[in-house]
Amino acid sequence: MENMLLEIKNLSLGFHIGKSEKVIFDGIGAQAGRGEVIALIGSNGRGKSTLLRTLVGLQNIFRGTILYEGRDINGFSHKELSEMIAFVSSHTERANHLSVKDMLGINCYYKTNWLGNITEADSAKISKALEMVGLEGFEDRNSFDLSDGEYQRATIAAAIVQDSQIIILDEPTAFLDIANRFMITKLLQRIAHEWGKLVIFSTHDLQLAIDMCDKIWLMAADGFYNDTPCSLMESGAFEKLFDNSKMVFNKLTRTFEVKD
Amino acid sequence: MKKYTKYYTLFALLMLLCLVADIIFGSVSIPFGDIIENIFLHGTSDSISAGDEYVRDILFSFRIPKAVTALLAGIGLSLCGLQMQTLFKNPLADPYILGVSASSGLGVAVFVMGGTLLGLDMGHPLFQIFGIAGAAMAGAFLLMMLIISLSHKLKNNLSLLIFGVMVGSVASAIINLLQYFTSASSLKMYVIWTMGSFAGLSPLQLWLLAGMVVVGVAMSVCNIKDLNALLLGEQYAAALGINIRGVKIRILVATTLLAGSVTAFCGPIGFIGIAVPHITRFIFRDANHKVLLPATALVGGTMMLFADLLTNIPASGNVIPINTVTALLGIPVILVIILKNRV
Repeated sequence: MENMLLEIKNLSLGFHIGKSEKVIFDGIGAQAGRGEVIALIGSNGRGKSTLLRTLVGLQNIFRGTILYEGRDINGFSHKELSEMIAFVSSHTERANHLSVKDMLGINCYYKTNWLGNITEADSAKISKALEMVGLEGFEDRNSFDLSDGEYQRATIAAAIVQDSQIIILDEPTAFLDIANRFMITKLLQRIAHEWGKLVIFSTHDLQLAIDMCDKIWLMAADGFYNDTPCSLMESGAFEKLFDNSKMVFNKLTRTFEVKD
Repeated sequence: MKKYTKYYTLFALLMLLCLVADIIFGSVSIPFGDIIENIFLHGTSDSISAGDEYVRDILFSFRIPKAVTALLAGIGLSLCGLQMQTLFKNPLADPYILGVSASSGLGVAVFVMGGTLLGLDMGHPLFQIFGIAGAAMAGAFLLMMLIISLSHKLKNNLSLLIFGVMVGSVASAIINLLQYFTSASSLKMYVIWTMGSFAGLSPLQLWLLAGMVVVGVAMSVCNIKDLNALLLGEQYAAALGINIRGVKIRILVATTLLAGSVTAFCGPIGFIGIAVPHITRFIFRDANHKVLLPATALVGGTMMLFADLLTNIPASGNVIPINTVTALLGIPVILVIILKNRV
């Protein structure tokens, strides 16, 4: 693939307890390129967050290889990694009296001088990013007083300001109402399709993922699936999402139903 | 930044006012005219009366050094508290939360009380000038080395806070043991140090303190960018690709230098480090450290000079201990923080 950005080879998730090892998820392999929106689906405890944290470099690789533009993640410096990936958590902490502009300015860390002064160019970029997420003119507002939806959008704007090639989001739509959820997913789609970035986010909202994403990474009970929503539906992979065999996927409504 | 100019000017003036007042008022009352005459006109008149010499002696060997020491201590402890509160995302963090005062105290206790037990000659001039301060600094820096070496284990801030409390308990246990076995004179020497005082620094000691505080302030200014990056939590900064371990070490070194040097020369002075950053945030209403850090230094210097001024208020010739005043000024602020719980 010409514009391939990310390649995951035989990645295992797990942790060490003393000298013994515990593997959570095995055999993850995937490729992703510029301009794609990818949803990461999996039931609770399957290791979605661990996978994302490993991709971002917040967690050491348990086993396997992660390549960005063909280079091993372990060879990246802090600065290079920050130019490659921006990460948005589902619950970013807040700081009182931190203006939205200064909040987004934090993500200019590697572009500002020793005092962290924001340049005119970055200032314009901040205003542009805020406009994109629908927070036009919010620069001087206290970020502490924003609503949950506004704050989540502000954190996405911060990721845009960071100007990385990839944006990875951990459940960006959790805690949000349906209007906000739709708005944010639509926004992620724009970031990928118009700006050519790679967007990867985890979610429990399967319907939204099927409707809006180019690809789905499915962490199912029997392994890792990486395909388009349609193929996954055809192959019946969604049936394997839950260990519980009573959950049945209905292709027409694109939702799960409980079989009696 | 412009909107804060009037606040900066106001606090700069207040600080100057407190500095002047701290020099004018003392347990011995000196007419204002005499003070001006002796500070600005000294050397111009040919004959110096015995009275002038007495006034000059009080001013230059006591009051001015004391006021400058208070100013340095206020700036140092406040900046230390600000950085600790941001680093640990904890409103109650202060220079002492990590056990800096406890480990300094242990250093001093081991030196003062352990020294006599080992038969060291405490009257030696080198010991008299740098002994206590050196021991306190050594204690503070040893603790910092310990924290840095354990920092990969003390990942979350709660464990680091518990670690600080534990260090404090161990230190006071050892200090108790030393107190039990030591002589009355060294016990007194230690207790007097723990009471805290800005007085009695020799010119050499004052220069040393000033040097260390200036270096500490310069390092703090260099930390501004990292402190801002920590505002949304350690995880956020780490995800941004910031070298958290390096940032933590830089902040710990700056804060240990500030709190350690002030504690070494003035004794453990409480509540300023915790209260001043909150007062500053309340007034300036901006979390950006580019605004907050210089503001905290100004407010901290002002507060400490004001506290030092209050130690003379009874005007009876008696001076109350500085720690009593800082507690009375600082504790209400801490209570308000806890009750309002909005940081």
